[in-house]
Amino acid sequence: MLTIRGLSKTYANGVQALKDVSLEIPNGMFGLLGPNGAGKSTLMRTIATLQDADSGSIHLNDLDVLADKPAARRLLGYLPQEFGVYPKVSAEAMLDHFAVLKGVVVHGERKALVDALLKQVNLWDVRKRKLGTFSGGMRQRFGIAQALIGNPRLIIVDEPTAGLDPEERNRFLNLLAEIGENVVVILSTHIVEDVTDLCPRMAIIAQGQLRLTGQPAEAIRALDGRVWRKTVANAAIDDYRQRMTVLSTRLAGGKTILHVLADASPEGGFEAVTPDLEDVYFGQLRMHAAARAA
Amino acid sequence: MFSEIFRFELRQQLKSPLFWMIAFAFGALAFAAAGSDHIRLGGGIGNTHRNAPFVVVQMLTIFTILGMFLVTVFVAGAALRDFDAGTAEMFFATPLSRGAYLGGRFAAGYVAAIGVLVVVALGLLTGVLMPWVDPARLGPTSLGTYLYAFGVAVLPDMFFLSALMFLLATLTRSMLGTYIGLIAFFVLWQIAAVATDSPDHLTLGAIIDPFGLGAFDVATRYWSAEERNTRLPELVGLLLVNRVVWLAAGVALVAATIAWFRPDREGLRLWRRKPKTAAAALVEPAHHTMTLPPVTLHGGAAARFSQYFKLAAFDMRGVLFGVAFLVMLAFGMINLGGFLALSNELFGTKIYPVTHQMTEAMDGSYNFLLIIIIAFYAGELVWRERSAHISEVTDAYSLPDFIPLLSKLTAMIAVIVVFLAAGALECVGYQLIRGYTHFEPGLYLSYIALNTLRFALVGALALFLQVIANNKFLGYLLIVIYFVSRIALAQLHFDHNLYNFGSAPGLPYSDMNGYGHFLAGHLWFRAYWASLATALLVVAALFWVRGTAQGWKERSRIARQRFGTAPRALLAASLLAFAGLGVWIYYNTNIINRYVPGDTAKRQQADYEKRYRQYRDLPQPKITDVKVDVDLYPHDRKVDVRGHYVLANKTGQPISDLHMRLPYEMKVIALDFAPHDVVSDDRIQGYTIYKLKTPLAPGATMNFDYTLQGWSRGFRNTPDDYHIVDNGTLLDSRMLPHFGYDENGQLQDRNDRREYGLPPAPRMPKIDDESARQYNLLGRDADWVTFETTISTVPDQIALAPGYLEKEWTETNPSGQARRYFHYKMDKPILDFFSFQSARYAVKKDTLDGISLEVYYHPEHAYNVDRIMDSMKKSLSYYGTAFAPFQFRQMRILEFPGYERFAQSFANTVPFSESIGFTADLRDPESIDYAFYVTAHEVGHQWWAHQVIGAFLQGVTMLDETFAQYSALMVQEKEYGPAKMRKFLKYELDRYLRGRSGEVVEEMPLALNENQQYIHYRKGSVVMYALKDYLGQALVDRTLARYDHDKAFQQPPYTTTREFLDYLKEDAGPQWFSLITDLFEKITIFDDRVTAVTAKKRDDGRYDVTLALHTGKIYADGVGKETKATFDVPVDIGVFAKSPDGQEQNEKVLFLEKRKVADGDSSITVTVDGEPYEAGIDPYNKLVDRVSDDNRMRATLQ
Repeated sequence: MLTIRGLSKTYANGVQALKDVSLEIPNGMFGLLGPNGAGKSTLMRTIATLQDADSGSIHLNDLDVLADKPAARRLLGYLPQEFGVYPKVSAEAMLDHFAVLKGVVVHGERKALVDALLKQVNLWDVRKRKLGTFSGGMRQRFGIAQALIGNPRLIIVDEPTAGLDPEERNRFLNLLAEIGENVVVILSTHIVEDVTDLCPRMAIIAQGQLRLTGQPAEAIRALDGRVWRKTVANAAIDDYRQRMTVLSTRLAGGKTILHVLADASPEGGFEAVTPDLEDVYFGQLRMHAAARAA
Repeated sequence: MFSEIFRFELRQQLKSPLFWMIAFAFGALAFAAAGSDHIRLGGGIGNTHRNAPFVVVQMLTIFTILGMFLVTVFVAGAALRDFDAGTAEMFFATPLSRGAYLGGRFAAGYVAAIGVLVVVALGLLTGVLMPWVDPARLGPTSLGTYLYAFGVAVLPDMFFLSALMFLLATLTRSMLGTYIGLIAFFVLWQIAAVATDSPDHLTLGAIIDPFGLGAFDVATRYWSAEERNTRLPELVGLLLVNRVVWLAAGVALVAATIAWFRPDREGLRLWRRKPKTAAAALVEPAHHTMTLPPVTLHGGAAARFSQYFKLAAFDMRGVLFGVAFLVMLAFGMINLGGFLALSNELFGTKIYPVTHQMTEAMDGSYNFLLIIIIAFYAGELVWRERSAHISEVTDAYSLPDFIPLLSKLTAMIAVIVVFLAAGALECVGYQLIRGYTHFEPGLYLSYIALNTLRFALVGALALFLQVIANNKFLGYLLIVIYFVSRIALAQLHFDHNLYNFGSAPGLPYSDMNGYGHFLAGHLWFRAYWASLATALLVVAALFWVRGTAQGWKERSRIARQRFGTAPRALLAASLLAFAGLGVWIYYNTNIINRYVPGDTAKRQQADYEKRYRQYRDLPQPKITDVKVDVDLYPHDRKVDVRGHYVLANKTGQPISDLHMRLPYEMKVIALDFAPHDVVSDDRIQGYTIYKLKTPLAPGATMNFDYTLQGWSRGFRNTPDDYHIVDNGTLLDSRMLPHFGYDENGQLQDRNDRREYGLPPAPRMPKIDDESARQYNLLGRDADWVTFETTISTVPDQIALAPGYLEKEWTETNPSGQARRYFHYKMDKPILDFFSFQSARYAVKKDTLDGISLEVYYHPEHAYNVDRIMDSMKKSLSYYGTAFAPFQFRQMRILEFPGYERFAQSFANTVPFSESIGFTADLRDPESIDYAFYVTAHEVGHQWWAHQVIGAFLQGVTMLDETFAQYSALMVQEKEYGPAKMRKFLKYELDRYLRGRSGEVVEEMPLALNENQQYIHYRKGSVVMYALKDYLGQALVDRTLARYDHDKAFQQPPYTTTREFLDYLKEDAGPQWFSLITDLFEKITIFDDRVTAVTAKKRDDGRYDVTLALHTGKIYADGVGKETKATFDVPVDIGVFAKSPDGQEQNEKVLFLEKRKVADGDSSITVTVDGEPYEAGIDPYNKLVDRVSDDNRMRATLQ
């Protein structure tokens, strides 16, 4: 169980990235959803001991992560949002190097682990290839392999599926789901399907604030009967936006399909739809915007 | 389109703060260089004005070259801008022509680069206007000079450089690639400059220098100060050719850039990889569950070490296989190879590649690259993870904070070792090529270890600065500031190694004495700085950034968190060690030794003159008898001296004041002479004034007994205590008491003199100053003295001093040490000038007509002992026959460590530095045998100094040095023939002509020279050889013999050059008076050249050769102002057949005769037997002529 209490962080340029965030994250996959710039990465990096918060605490079971970083790091697996590789080093050599740095210094153990990891992430056949020649998906899988070194109890993956093609994405998420059975896995993303498909629990964060936390199904249920759809001309969208809480717009066949949040059908032509997590997500963002405007 | 691109790019350039920073920094540097002596970049010396046209052009050219590495940012930046910013594809999708795009960018980069030089010019202009600049050293400022400098030098130089950079940047698409290319160019340029830096290759050197410095040098090589102040070379000849060639090269580079430019992503690729065979099909893996083998995460010391080791190895591989390192290594090895192949020559003769010469070559041409490597890789290593965006991953690992830093330091040290070892291997290879197999692996290893330590300290500082700055470029800037500050501090005389990070006293190496006692002091300093480096590294580890880049507040908070017991203990221990070692060093350098910063030393010299010059003419007694016992303790570097003088009053008045001089290093234990009072005792200057209770009456004598001790204890800030050393001690009579004021101790440089409030340096007494003839060249306090010494040393060394060995024995002294004693005695009076030496010698002995000959040498330096012995014999027999009998019955030559480079002739004894002659490689019969020549010169001094010594006034050094040169030339010519003499004299002429353009006071004619080396040695050789050529060797020898006969062992008044010239004129006859005057009493420069040679075959099979000639003669005054004179000496006219092997020395002489030739243009026809190939006037360059290459010309057959 990862317990976050009252975490706040303001950067030197005045941007308040986290505002009093508190979260309880049990074992299993946990989705952290939010738009770009919401503070997801700041939160993840803080949990990964790479950045200090101004106030607040993080505990992994009994361990105070912020106070005892070396101990926390021994339990941690982290795949950052953007990470590089030494382009001229092979996947195997690099993974071996990482294993040493993490503390797997016994040669035999390390060799077995590296082999197993490469097989696990399906990079065994290309283990001798230079990392510079890897595609985006291969790199992400390499990234998850390094995050799995040393039986981490807490795994943090920051927007891992951005830029992956659908097949790679599936393969990657399957891998994560398997890992997530016994440890805490925090998956940060702005792609709603990632969370829907995988995460028993989730949180939505925007403007540095926690907007919602809980199970996706519950959140969706809260919107039952409140999401409406209509196909309108492109030119009319602005008008709708002014009058109603438009959740999302999507082009289809030259026209636009609107999703609107309302307790009852807003006007003629709207039909009720079964809400999904995306509606929840946009709903949270719009509510927030409305609150700010008010 | 072009103008739009140009304007856009130029706006970008001028908006960049970097442009203004560089321009301002360079302008400030120019300002400082123009206005002060503390920064020297070319610039005016001596009589040349600070703002002389010559100086302005030279400085602007040097700034252009120096600026090469900075303006790259603008020019290469212009080429790379769109690729770096990712805007390239947007530009190339527009209908913009390649020429307009590249041309606009290039032109703007070029203009920006020129802008920097304009600021430099402003700096130079304003620098000399400052009130602290001595107006005496300024000439008028002329705008024309600057226009010339820009037109002829700056604009074309920078055009070529910019074109080169632009091409490199376009092709490599990388700033690093551009820099590497530039460094390659720079190294090649240096190699070319070194390769062509001899009088034989001037023309080639002038053409291949892209900056025209070579051509400028050829045009101005022998210019006098006067010419430098008023003239600039015309844009003709080599200079014009050079400028045109390199301007064309620049244009070609721009054209190549446009032709080779590729707008696509890949840029230019010299080779393309073949596509691999089809990629393996992607197979969806069978679904399986997560199973990973169990592992343990270790965190103990063993695990930490293993992590450290692996990380260090990983970082090291990263550097060693990095392009930049490999390129630097390649450049270094090329540079070292070039240096080895071309340096270490004297008169074109190489010396043996003994190992310590190899390490010196590395010092001079290789190791400097390590500075660049360290500075560069400190940044690369510290930023390695972050620039590869890997730190995001690795920083979250449970690796302790200090391990990455320690690994990077280790990697850096490993890189230093690899680099040095590669250089050492190259040196070994070179030794093998030269057929030298006496390798000294121990010396190589210690050299590598010592230099690793030296550079590791710089590396530690660079890492520290990079970590603390937490910005790569700021880190680079800081390390550059460190390098600059070291240079600047030294210039400002802040020269104590205690506050110059990482520095230590130099470590002179000698084959005879190894590193000697210098090693200890050197290592103490290194340990001192290593302690500080450790402390810095602890601080760096505390501030090591992990995770997101942070502000200072956060970093110091984290540092405080990390500051646990271990770092506290380590920091405290290293700071304590630093302080403790500092105290120990201070005790050694400043308490038991004397530390005098450069400016203080000058002030002390000035004080010496201010206080005591008033006593210069005070009558003092002269030494007549010397008996001195010298106990040498080479291991303790101690000498005990017990001496006895007899002093005589040779003046006509009673002497009541005795002024004793003694070097600071010698401590008086006891003095015993007539009853006296101490008037003053100045230990700093080593000048004590005694008042005798009873004045010494004219003609009376007195005893003067002294006990002295000299003891070099501990170590010094500079390794100048090299006189008494473990093996190879050389002391001379300067360590003994002397009397009266000594002018040699005065400050010489006229700018220093002005700065310290002294009038212009007093000149030598005029030649007709009769009172000066009371004193000879060697000093005012003795004429000829009797000499006897007992010198003792350790049992395994031989100790020597002038005189004949009377007795040698070993005994145990009171403190129980075995001592070896030598008693030497001279049986006739000699000059008051002795040496005392001791070393572990091998001895070679021989005899010649009852004269015993000995060479004492380091056993490993046996190479040329036979040549030296041979030279001794041939010299003694030539001089004994030609001049006068040798006055001694023994002659000895003794090697001493190469801390100093000279050979000096004492009575029957010549200390000879190991760095000249003993290790000359004379296996090539073509080389000039300077071991032979220097020996002949020194033996010559047994006549020309130790028989005939001149009065200390103008011209006196002609009587010893010039005559010794002449003597050696004659012996050498007899041994090696005239062709080799010509090769030798060509070097001598060049050194004379260059010497005179560097004159700071006044050039004097040979017979009036004021101890000016370029005159009495260099011009002396040329003049005496010409004299011999005109008058005949027999006549010159006869005159010298007659002169020696009359003047040898003469008591005051001593002889002068005027007396010698009278002898010469008497023997030569009136027809030679004007030539003798031209050679000895005037500064005469000839301008002889042949302008055309035509040959016509006659019916009888012979050839008529017609030479069109130009002759001229000028007289120069002391600052080089010239007046035309009439050419009136007969001169060699020569016609030569083609030499079978192309070597000048093997050519066949068809005709060679002295002919009277009219002044100015004329022609002459001679008839010869064979087919002429070349013909010329003064073809062997016997006369002083500034252009020696135009004296011959190929004949055109009609």
